[in-house]
Amino acid sequence: MSSSDVILIVDNVTKRFGGLVANSRVSFQLKRGEILGLIGPNGAGKTTLFNVITGVYKPDEGKVIFKGEDITGKPPHEITRKGIAKTHQIVKPFNDMTVLENAMVGALFGKRARQVAMEEAREIAMDSLKLVGLDAFSDEFAAKLNLHQKKMLELARALSAEPDLLLLDEVLAGLNPKEIEESLEIIRKVKDERNLSVIMIEHVMHAVMNISDRIVVLHYGRKIAEGIPEEIANNPEVITAYLGEPELALKFVKRRVTK
Amino acid sequence: MLKEFRSVTLGIIIAIIVAILVARVLHLTTLDTLMTIMYFMGIALSLNIIMGFAGYVSFGHAVFLGLGGYVYILLVYFLEPLNQLQRAGFGIGALLVSVIAGLAAAALAATVGAAVLRLRGAFFAIATIGLDFTILYLMKAIVPELNPDQFFGGQVILPADRIVDKETIFNAFFIATVVLIAVNYYIRKSPFGMGLTAIKEDEDAAEVLGVPTTLFKILAFSLAAFFTGMIGALFSLNGGGVDETLFGLNHSIDMIVMIVIGGLGTVLGPIIGSLIYYELYDLLLVHYPGVNLIILGVIVAIMVLFFPEGLIGILRRYKIGNVRLRDILE
Repeated sequence: MSSSDVILIVDNVTKRFGGLVANSRVSFQLKRGEILGLIGPNGAGKTTLFNVITGVYKPDEGKVIFKGEDITGKPPHEITRKGIAKTHQIVKPFNDMTVLENAMVGALFGKRARQVAMEEAREIAMDSLKLVGLDAFSDEFAAKLNLHQKKMLELARALSAEPDLLLLDEVLAGLNPKEIEESLEIIRKVKDERNLSVIMIEHVMHAVMNISDRIVVLHYGRKIAEGIPEEIANNPEVITAYLGEPELALKFVKRRVTK
Repeated sequence: MLKEFRSVTLGIIIAIIVAILVARVLHLTTLDTLMTIMYFMGIALSLNIIMGFAGYVSFGHAVFLGLGGYVYILLVYFLEPLNQLQRAGFGIGALLVSVIAGLAAAALAATVGAAVLRLRGAFFAIATIGLDFTILYLMKAIVPELNPDQFFGGQVILPADRIVDKETIFNAFFIATVVLIAVNYYIRKSPFGMGLTAIKEDEDAAEVLGVPTTLFKILAFSLAAFFTGMIGALFSLNGGGVDETLFGLNHSIDMIVMIVIGGLGTVLGPIIGSLIYYELYDLLLVHYPGVNLIILGVIVAIMVLFFPEGLIGILRRYKIGNVRLRDILE
């Protein structure tokens, strides 16, 4: 793997909250155009890792290298401008702004911040809304959307920033099977159309196994496995990590059987 | 089509500005009345920049009113060139001196803002009240030292040769008001305003979306302070002096109430709110002296409880025919 193929390097990142070690010496690389699944039981440190990458938290140790540049500890808005966009696990719509205005904020302050005028931002935002299927709601207040739509709005806002790297934090959680299928379709589509690299945190196992090129597994803040979905599904350590959650373990087992 | 309707907001603004001019030219009312209206409009529009757009309730905002007033009055009291300047150019001179007062207020806001704007909600409000009292007592301590024979208790009264005629002050007030309306309108329509509104809605999400939240908040706070300082300066000039009452919390409350009555974060809200407040204040004072402030308080409480978006905010919910009012009322 030559270095120009790598868009993101997470190098030995450690993040502590008091005595709790949320991330412990986590390292991995992401190739351009890749979809990387980030999984692990609740509390494994996945969202913390996202927050370290986006600058919300400063890591105690380690580095984050994006497109060859050390971005460790830079403020979130600067990192966004460099081309990383994130959706929130717990949706954070700007409720008293319209759906279109929500997405416009992404465009105005994203990768081309200060170069995008209001009219252009409107067009970029509308394109993103079309991609995620929210264009019909562009004039509604964001507060009126249902959960699935709010998750898609998170995605549209992130896409409006015109990022190179998209971090998706449980965009599928709480959605029904049909919505999950639709959302996966959308993610695949935008990834191809916009030549994005994606890291997605996901608990919906069949979905993440299905869409990811590679998977990184965190457990108690450590990386315990990394590989293609088949390897991960058959990794004993991963299965053990999930055994505390019988349903998920069962899903792994089922998958092994059907293979 | 929408664009044409959007100009309704501009139409209302221009109508109000023209009305003030007409009243001035035809002497429909006294200059003092017009200046009082512009004073109320001015302080409401100033605070609107940080409270209306960014959602930070600056409860001690009178500190900038007081500081602006003191800086202006002391400048023209002690510096003869500035005393000359404030009489020049049919109000332009006075406006320029008031810009210096505004800059002093903005400098204070920028310095303190870096610290207090980390606080959110009630804590920010309390911090600004603390700032108000700090500067007030600082002024009470320093000002009498400047001229112990004259400045008893920190009160500065301009001698006759430093007072400016009301026509000149009116012109300065008028230009300041027009600029302030334009600034509010521009912010409302600009990426800066979008960023501030995003901060108001969810500051953490705004930051992650790329809004430079700290910078924007300090900018908004400084702008709000700058204009409040200018208004405080011209208000004091018109009063022929300044004293500590200009730091009073009642001024801060006036600003907040006008914005809340009119509609937070819009351009028309503070303008309409200040007109209503001014009328209400006068009416109640004339018809119910003694209990006027109690009645006003009850009205405000009802507004906040049941119509927190203010008059323009309520109107923006409705449609007239095919036209949604929120497309035409900004």
